[in-house]
Amino acid sequence: MQLIPHTTGNLTRTLGLLTASLFAATGLHAQDISPAASHSAYGPSPDKASATQDTASDLGMTRIDTAILFYQEAGGRVKATEPVTSVTFNGTDGEVLSVKLTADALTGATPNGATPWKNTQTFITPSKGQGVQTTTTSASGHSKTVTLPGTDIVASQYTAEPHTLPLDYGFRDTRYAVDVGYTTPIDPVTRLSVGGSFSSEQDFKSASVSFGAARDLFDKNTTVSAGINLEYDKSDPYFGTPQPLSIMSGLTKGGSQSKGVFNAVLGVTQVMNRNWLAQVNYSLGAANGYQTDPYRILSVVNGQTGAPVRYLYEARPKSRIRQSLYVGNKIAFGPTVTDLSARLYHDSWGITSVTAEIAERVPITSWLYVEPHARYYSQSKANFFHDFLIDGQALPEFASSDSRLAKFTATTVGLKLGLKLTTNGELYMRADSYSQTGDRHPATAIGDLQSENLFTGIKATSVMVGYTFAFE
Amino acid sequence: MASKSVTKSYDGVLTPAENGFVYRFGAMGSPCEVRMETGDADLALRLGEIVAASALRIEHKYSRYRDDSVVSQINASRGMPVRLDEETASLIGYAAQCYTLSHGQFDITSGVLRRVWRFDGSDNLPTPSDVETVLALVGWSKVGWRSPVLTLPDGMEIDLGGIAKEYAVDCAIQRLKTVSDVPALINFGGDLRVTGPRANGERWRVAIESVEAGSRSEGVIELSEGAVTTSGDARRYLMKAGVRYGHILDPRTGWPVESAPRSVTVAAPTCVEAGLLSTLAMLQGQDAWAFLKSEGVKAWVLS
Repeated sequence: MQLIPHTTGNLTRTLGLLTASLFAATGLHAQDISPAASHSAYGPSPDKASATQDTASDLGMTRIDTAILFYQEAGGRVKATEPVTSVTFNGTDGEVLSVKLTADALTGATPNGATPWKNTQTFITPSKGQGVQTTTTSASGHSKTVTLPGTDIVASQYTAEPHTLPLDYGFRDTRYAVDVGYTTPIDPVTRLSVGGSFSSEQDFKSASVSFGAARDLFDKNTTVSAGINLEYDKSDPYFGTPQPLSIMSGLTKGGSQSKGVFNAVLGVTQVMNRNWLAQVNYSLGAANGYQTDPYRILSVVNGQTGAPVRYLYEARPKSRIRQSLYVGNKIAFGPTVTDLSARLYHDSWGITSVTAEIAERVPITSWLYVEPHARYYSQSKANFFHDFLIDGQALPEFASSDSRLAKFTATTVGLKLGLKLTTNGELYMRADSYSQTGDRHPATAIGDLQSENLFTGIKATSVMVGYTFAFE
Repeated sequence: MASKSVTKSYDGVLTPAENGFVYRFGAMGSPCEVRMETGDADLALRLGEIVAASALRIEHKYSRYRDDSVVSQINASRGMPVRLDEETASLIGYAAQCYTLSHGQFDITSGVLRRVWRFDGSDNLPTPSDVETVLALVGWSKVGWRSPVLTLPDGMEIDLGGIAKEYAVDCAIQRLKTVSDVPALINFGGDLRVTGPRANGERWRVAIESVEAGSRSEGVIELSEGAVTTSGDARRYLMKAGVRYGHILDPRTGWPVESAPRSVTVAAPTCVEAGLLSTLAMLQGQDAWAFLKSEGVKAWVLS
């Protein structure tokens, strides 16, 4: 850098005179205020909506199942379109090879983690870097590129309207995933399986391998199984990984992060009687590494008024141990089949949850069935969940305002319709409505935050249409 | 202009800062902030809102992205004469004088060049004939100007983006000084000006950020009066056959200025002057430093 000394030149002197007359002429202007028009943003990769599949096993046949899932959250939030195709090759001696390909196209907005407020809030994030061509949606009008004060660092800025949940608009992300599984019998009562999967999106890659074994006992009335899964994830956020609990800024952040996940499952499947099959699974998982949402922030608010003072990036513990116990039943009453299941879950982040689910398949004719289903889910909050932090108080080691870590209950109701078009071909359609409810006005809310809705959970609907058929 | 819907949607966020408060909001495509040395949060909020209102008024009036702005009205005039209000006439008159003073290097009709030049880091250079076509629509000398009547030839456009933000800082400082004695620093997207020395009589410190990714600040400017602006954007360029084309376009040729510094920071009494000087310096290419030196302005050049 060169510093230039100071003596006034020609052009500068003339300019000075011109400028002086400019301000003398224009003077001060009336306070006619126009509404601001600013806004924008980029967003994280939101929750994935996963397709459910129904694959039957047909000895000696190849089955192809193709479906497309549409998922939409209320309030203009995440929207996903997910085509899935799977091919399952069934050998005549019990070998099964399956390959599943999935693509997700996600668009929309997710809550950025800040609390709503009575005034417009402005958020700043780094702008897309050079070379990243596919990720921003400034055409949507939400995001606005700005230059940081005193610098020529380009950043992105967006705002949240008064009394609305701050949403991060922005990334259209596309995820591609491939899953491969192979199962082979090694003797008449024992099967081994191996599998692998890889998924990739712009800012996240995941790879996993799994091994499993199952053995039939007591005349095939009982099956015991065990499996392990190893997963490695790499998170490469668009603008780098922010320092946990640092102030939200437009500066590019640190490098990529990773985590490893180990999961083990033990299960027993038991034929209870001619009409009843029961299954019990216990699973234990341990994840280690980066589990923070790099795009998510929390509001630090004034202790009296609740007004936002600053925004900090969230922080989650590096380690998470999960345990769950699942009990499932398949019961045939006459022509109908009932699926009844319950799951208990607890993890080291302090979340305990229960799930209960029922589905009943009712044949209407030989070629048409309907399957209504309902699911209830309830969880306690993670011990580092905070709707917001209070200015002047000591920062906790970990903090997140992610609604998925909050206390909430969720219900799903849905209906599936299946239409057997040929002996081996079936067209199916499934529609679901999902709704989370939680504490909109927690007792901890202070000042004007008491009148804001602090629960950021979602309501979503999804529709899936698919066709499956098998051939020799 | 009559005050229509007076909604207070310009609200930003007031945050405690060193010796006072900082009020942040967004306007004119930039993060904006007002640093105020007062312990009175209510006053700081009121002053912050006055500055925001002032900024948004100017944005509304001069943004070419708003259909109802004065600039858009001028650009939609299709060759018909337009009678300008007093403030706009002063600004246009000022721009016209700067055009003369800079021998055509500062030209508010040059914005149309952006139609062929997109500085996205690619190698997509326009062809000389592309540039030639657009250049036919550039040139203040083609504009009829007898204050307050402006006649813009059909197809041409004006863009006050080159001075509106700086002008807004200067207006906001003036406005602030008439309502309060609180020492303040106003910064609209890197164009900044102070009301005077800080409360303790010391100077304000402003960091010049490095243009290099990853490295920290390049230096610190101290100022007790006046304004500082920075021109240049190391991230906006095109690269072809090993030649780097920076985003500073010469309105006279329609082509980027060769060997322009990556950034020029200039101090001057007002933001408008500082902004013009830093832009003109960039237009001198490799002679930027010499130009600033001959003009004797306080400046920092990153090349």
